[in-house]
Amino acid sequence: MPRERKLSSILISTAIFIILEIAAFVMLRHNGDLQNIWIAKISHSVMGRIWGGSDNIRYYLSLKKTNDELAQENFELRQALDIYKSVAGEARRDSLSSLIEPHSDYSFIPATIVKISKNKQHNYFIINKGSEDGVRPQSGVITQEGVIGIIDAVDKHYSYGFSLMNSGLSISARIGTEGAVGPLSWDGRSYSGAVLKEIPLQYKFAPGDTVWTSGYSAIFPPDIPLGVTGEAKIVNGAVNEIDVELFENFTALRYVTVVENVGRDEILSLESLEGETE
Amino acid sequence: MKESRFFLTYAMVVLVQILICNYLNLSLFVALSLLPVIVLFIPIRYSTSLALFVAFISGLAVDYFAEGLVGLNALALLPVAFCRKSIINLVFGDEIFARKEDISINQHGVLKVSIAIIIAQSLFMLIYIWADGAATRPFWFNLTRFLMSVIIGWLLSLFVSEALVQDRRER
Repeated sequence: MPRERKLSSILISTAIFIILEIAAFVMLRHNGDLQNIWIAKISHSVMGRIWGGSDNIRYYLSLKKTNDELAQENFELRQALDIYKSVAGEARRDSLSSLIEPHSDYSFIPATIVKISKNKQHNYFIINKGSEDGVRPQSGVITQEGVIGIIDAVDKHYSYGFSLMNSGLSISARIGTEGAVGPLSWDGRSYSGAVLKEIPLQYKFAPGDTVWTSGYSAIFPPDIPLGVTGEAKIVNGAVNEIDVELFENFTALRYVTVVENVGRDEILSLESLEGETE
Repeated sequence: MKESRFFLTYAMVVLVQILICNYLNLSLFVALSLLPVIVLFIPIRYSTSLALFVAFISGLAVDYFAEGLVGLNALALLPVAFCRKSIINLVFGDEIFARKEDISINQHGVLKVSIAIIIAQSLFMLIYIWADGAATRPFWFNLTRFLMSVIIGWLLSLFVSEALVQDRRER
């Protein structure tokens, strides 16, 4: 009880102090020209700081919305870029053709990672898009920095996938835009290390060359930058095994894009048909 | 009776302060003020809220009758009244509150009383000189004025404090 009385007494005297001090300030402002300008300057500066501070807080609180908008914009840009790449590829293949219809072999779905494991040998991730959003198993998951993984199982609203940081997963990659192609898999040690295997010895490359997706896998579109080459070693005297430093930072992932090859079913049925024939 | 005598003495010192402001202009570098010491010496039994009202009214009285810049002394004196008990606690310890005794040189020594007066004077002068100059005077001027005012104010305040305590002793 005495403590409560003491606290209320402190609060009352503080309130009285503030009120009287403001009253003194107001009187001083009205009685001295210099003081009037000076107090006005101080109050403007204080108000400016308060407004600036509240603006910063408002900006901070709207960051999530801004991020979502950026992810959506990024997704739309990726779609547009894919159409242009497709058009450019068609034009290169058939320079005589004057009528080029823009089309894309891939469909894209923006998604957000809701869970990701990073410290296991078989790492996985879960995204907030599922079958109702059009996600199908064996779809690829990418960002502008590279490949994230492959969707393995799909539920109504969520999908589960194997991360590239999974020792059981490899993707087809190419050194440079027209270089040798080989399987790229996680090195099993670091967050950004991978190994590109089975590169024939006759292919020349230098440390620092960019590694891209090859487009041979029927999952990922070609020419997605993955990382840069590092040291290489010859395995069994026949092929090169090259260290790759990935661009993707798996420790700070949030926004991704699910990519699906529209013609994948056709490719797979063709493969199975060929298998039966053999 | 006791209360009315204290406030009578208090009013006398305020009157002396008005006279000092009107007729004793030592230098541009010295702002003499007895107000901090009389606020500091308001008996401990009185609450901070009462001390704030008393300080505000006495500050305004001096402003109105002497300085011409209404609000200046009140503005500088209010923080002294607000921090009065904290200053006393810091310098004299919290036993003084338990015993409800007043500050005096005889009981607490010149050194402790001087420290308390200097803290109160400094707090007052800091705000007074800052607001009076309204950021138009150079730093060296304000610093010199502050140091000289605090030193002279401290010496003068020691006499006033003794007078205040003597008044109580006579009672």
